[in-house]
Amino acid sequence: MPKVVTQQVEFEGHFFEQTVVIEGDDITPWGPEKEFSVVGQPHTRIDGSERVTGGAKFTHDIHLPGMLYGKFLRSPHPHAQIKKISTSRAEKLPGVRAIFTYENSPEIPWRMGLTKLFDKRIRYAGEEVACVIADDESICLDALDLIEVEYEKLPSVVDAELALENNAPKLHEAGNLVTGKPETYARGDVEKGFKEADVVVEGTFRTQVALHNCMETHGSAAVWEGDNLKIWDSTQHIFGVRDMVATALGLPKHKVRVIKQYMGGGFGSKNGAGKYTILAALAAKKTGRPVKILLDRREENLLAGNRPSTLQIVKIGATRDGKLTAIYHKCIANEGAYAAWVAGSTGPSTRMYACPNVKAENFGVFTNLGPVAAFRAPGYVEGTFALEAMMDEVAAKLGIDPLELRLRNYAEVDPTSGKSFTTKGLRKAYEIGSEMIGWERRSQIKKQNSTATKKIGFGMGSQIWGGSGGPPAYSVVKINNDGTAVVLTGTQEIGTGAKTAMAQIAAEVLAFPIESISVELGDTQIGLYSPLSAGSMTLASVGPAVRGAAEDAKKQLLDVGSQVLNIPIEDLVIENGDFLNKKSGERTPVKKIYEKLQNYMIVGRGARGPNPADKVVNTFGAQFAQVEVDIETGKVTLQKIVAVHESGRVINPLATRSQLEGGIIQGLGFALCEQRFVDPHLGLVLNASLETYKIPTMMDIPAIEAEMVNMPDPDVNNLGVKGIGEPPIIPTPAAIANAVADALGKRIYELPLSADRVLNTLYPSSQNERSS
Amino acid sequence: MKNFEYVSAPNLASAITQLQGSNSKALAGGTDLLTEMKERIKTPDRLVNLKSIHEMQGVRDDKDKLWIGALTTLSEIESHRFIAERYPILAQAAYLTASHQLRNAGTLGGNLCQSVRCWYYRHPDLTCWLKGGETCYAQEGINRHHAILGNAPCIAVQPSDLAPALIALDAVVRLKGDEVDGDLSLDEFFVLPDEGLRQRTVLGKSDLVVGVSIPKPAASSRGIYLKSMEREDWSFALVSVAVQLNFAGSKVGTARIVLGGVAGKPWRAKSAEAVIQGKVLNDSLAEEAGAAAVAGASPFEHNGYKVVLAKNLVKRALLELNK
Amino acid sequence: MLKASAKSLVQLQVNGQAQEISIEPRRTLLDALRVDLGLTGTKKGCDEGTCGACTVLKEGKPVYSCLTLAIECEHSRIETIENLAKDGKMHPVQFAFIEQDALQCGFCTPGQIMSIKALLDQNPKPTESDIKRAVTGNLCRCGAYPNIVKAALSAAERLRRGG
Repeated sequence: MPKVVTQQVEFEGHFFEQTVVIEGDDITPWGPEKEFSVVGQPHTRIDGSERVTGGAKFTHDIHLPGMLYGKFLRSPHPHAQIKKISTSRAEKLPGVRAIFTYENSPEIPWRMGLTKLFDKRIRYAGEEVACVIADDESICLDALDLIEVEYEKLPSVVDAELALENNAPKLHEAGNLVTGKPETYARGDVEKGFKEADVVVEGTFRTQVALHNCMETHGSAAVWEGDNLKIWDSTQHIFGVRDMVATALGLPKHKVRVIKQYMGGGFGSKNGAGKYTILAALAAKKTGRPVKILLDRREENLLAGNRPSTLQIVKIGATRDGKLTAIYHKCIANEGAYAAWVAGSTGPSTRMYACPNVKAENFGVFTNLGPVAAFRAPGYVEGTFALEAMMDEVAAKLGIDPLELRLRNYAEVDPTSGKSFTTKGLRKAYEIGSEMIGWERRSQIKKQNSTATKKIGFGMGSQIWGGSGGPPAYSVVKINNDGTAVVLTGTQEIGTGAKTAMAQIAAEVLAFPIESISVELGDTQIGLYSPLSAGSMTLASVGPAVRGAAEDAKKQLLDVGSQVLNIPIEDLVIENGDFLNKKSGERTPVKKIYEKLQNYMIVGRGARGPNPADKVVNTFGAQFAQVEVDIETGKVTLQKIVAVHESGRVINPLATRSQLEGGIIQGLGFALCEQRFVDPHLGLVLNASLETYKIPTMMDIPAIEAEMVNMPDPDVNNLGVKGIGEPPIIPTPAAIANAVADALGKRIYELPLSADRVLNTLYPSSQNERSS
Repeated sequence: MKNFEYVSAPNLASAITQLQGSNSKALAGGTDLLTEMKERIKTPDRLVNLKSIHEMQGVRDDKDKLWIGALTTLSEIESHRFIAERYPILAQAAYLTASHQLRNAGTLGGNLCQSVRCWYYRHPDLTCWLKGGETCYAQEGINRHHAILGNAPCIAVQPSDLAPALIALDAVVRLKGDEVDGDLSLDEFFVLPDEGLRQRTVLGKSDLVVGVSIPKPAASSRGIYLKSMEREDWSFALVSVAVQLNFAGSKVGTARIVLGGVAGKPWRAKSAEAVIQGKVLNDSLAEEAGAAAVAGASPFEHNGYKVVLAKNLVKRALLELNK
Repeated sequence: MLKASAKSLVQLQVNGQAQEISIEPRRTLLDALRVDLGLTGTKKGCDEGTCGACTVLKEGKPVYSCLTLAIECEHSRIETIENLAKDGKMHPVQFAFIEQDALQCGFCTPGQIMSIKALLDQNPKPTESDIKRAVTGNLCRCGAYPNIVKAALSAAERLRRGG
């Protein structure tokens, strides 16, 4: 029976209270002792063949007869007011079917009302000015050249610190501070804590803007079938896109159908509809033809989101015996032109260690740049880098091993609430990881492998993150009369292997071979509500609902089977797709019984139960890096990285390992080579291409040893699983940066650790030498 | 891309005639030109495909020199047995260029004639000095990739990997066209842009690189190509160095040291060459040569590291060759 | 001398079939495949010759189809991802990609597979280093790289054993 409760909900490191309807809490969780036949076994992707044959249809691949294409005209200025716009020359170009500007488009509020679909006020270079719809993308581009726009240029600001100054150009009426005030946190008394400390260290850190660079750029295709709008969108949140489109266009939700079967990467940047989605829908209506609008790579990197740059000050006090007495963490993040929230960069400092006195201030600043978006563990990657660097400095000052210092401040309970954790496998992760990297032997390895020009170093980083998932999420399991089953949800498969994991869960419960299970998702009209695939929450939210639906279906199946076979239900089980009479050992295929029942269909229903109210759910992990720094070229090579994470029970070790490797590889890109550059005078992004924005290639990949502490979490949900999408990226930059500091005997407080930065640190006199 | 007229030229003479049209561009591998056309930096009315031109094809051993046609792909250069044996630094430079797919399409001629990678030049919303504007934005901007040597009104660096290697090998380029015709030292083929000529090579509008020839190196000759990149591979050079040394016994006979990524053209470090000529290489001499290679460098706000990097790469290259 | 400016008929040899399309000279091979021929297995990731999602084989060699003009490909043999599986039976490289979990989102996968297929056609016994070099120009943002190497090694072995 549904129950209405108010409970604490976590998303992307933020916690808030929500009223939710709870169902599905009547299923006994799979405890640690439970034995499985499918769950916990490595399984290849059930949708592998579509993805390797080119058969998978991504949003980019949707092609309908008569389809038109759209392209945006974008502002070349970072801050401006549009005075006049003339599209008459462009309209005359053969093949142009429609042009949208502020003059002929509905005034749709955008970005929480901070701007509009087409705003005469431009707040970053790359912002939408007009949209051309034509027979072909090339014609769209030709037409863009023919649109004449008169801009009044306004003074702009792209630096977050400058934007906070009194006389800085204002982006929004309420000023340049996101939400008008910093997000703050305090426990104990930090001043007192610093006074009690025997050592105090303080550091100022800077991290760069990172660009998601999903291989499939953002985009939508739209078609109207009567007054029903159908949209294909490259998104992590089909229901979110549906709701945004319905609101924007004033449509009831049942008239908007959003579909996303395959998506080429999101990493947090695809959590809602884009202007391209709305324009595709408007244009399809106006022209009566299907319309597809895809961003190109440059657009993707100008406006589809980014991990904001940060300036962070971290100060830590500790006693002589290595007990933390105080942590202060301040973060200023450059959010670009629009933001409604600030990533929790100070979160690791408030939650990781058992420190009695903590103060944190988290500022988000508006600037004339493309807006931020969540990017795989937003804030925590940046915050962990700064916190863990300072932990190493405390350790160095006290002459304590860095790992030992972390163990001495191990939080046995959640330091912010005093509540216990459902599971916390961090100690185990430290233990296994340090053994795998050879932490105890590291000075020996350094000595043996360092040369006059190449220095070896070791470093570590710890990870805390959410990943509980939560309600609402629903699933239905249908059993066909040939003994096959279809799992139906409304979630998304974004490449993590969620589909396969759900098939494993259903196969386990039903005791059907996994080959007889298919999983349908990614369609708002036929699917059941599921949350966005972000915040490491897909499996931990939807998986338990799938189990619930499968359990319900199985119950019905046994009931029917017992009647047809005339066997008491308590003697009947299902095994490998057969009814098995436990007493006689007689087996009857499910299919055989079903055939007698015409087209009877079993429909099982499941819902995600509540999260525990009296405990805190977090995921944990530790990574250890071994680097080589070439002190003549400044090149940092990550030679080896060990990652050990705890995220509850592992459903599919094969896909989990892929998640770990993927997170680490994005983390190494952030640590070593990725960085967006903006000209400070012109306010323009300079490296919006994949050639100039360097993501790791095959050649950059180190030896990766990744393991899970498989620790079924009995309290989090009926599967005992927590999320693993985001955790592995969190400690990677910290571990690498600490290893580089170890190799050089000198710390670099900025990311990425690129050759120029390493050389400038080693040869400070080489900077600013220009004589002419 | 703006649309254009496409012509496939059957021979050199026809190509040159076709290129005389108002706004024509030569197309070979297309791996650079098409990116500029997509970015609308170049909007030719006509593309003249050179790929069927026989005179520009082939790798030939002409006894005392090696001929490489301009249409030879980087993959062919990288994997040509003869080049790998006799001119290893050229093979190394090709090996370290771009990606496999680009090396399969990109040609020698295109690699030598490619445009600069400067972010300001490539920015669709800026008309920098090189594109005919007033300002070289990089000088006051983010110039971490830009020149430290050779004063020029545009500070973008010449991006080719093959060029420093070929100059170190004393290559001669054969040109054919309206304004140029004949052989020219590759070193002189590249020029620093100035007010009168906002370009990087001596080529006129309808001139073509037909190929290069490389003299046969002495038996005692050894070379090396080193390249520093922002990631392990698939990047343009931050700094590269090509060194080709002839040894006379244990001493360095003649030396050619050419730097990439430091100037508007491949930078022959003659003062570094002078430091080592006639001497036995050792750590301190290599260090001295490195310092000489960057003497007079005047970095900008963000590229001071290149002075150190270039110096260290020269030193490292010399010490490698002395092993 | 071939000469064209507006739309003209161009004959392509794609996956063993002759196909005639009417295109402007500016049409890239990538757009010709995806839009004109409906072969959407080849992906557009950057359209600027960097990411490798558009990798196809031209005369057996991997090239970026986004930096190749379709009009230049007359009489060239073009092979795309759609040509690998025969009669519903996957190519050993495709099998290996599934088996080794050498993909996550799957968007770069067709390009990766084409690069590795070309490598194995030429070099049946590649080293790890050969494999890495063959796909350096195929970017993967999900970070499937370690498993791509494993898949290529496993496919090579499978092919040596006769598929």
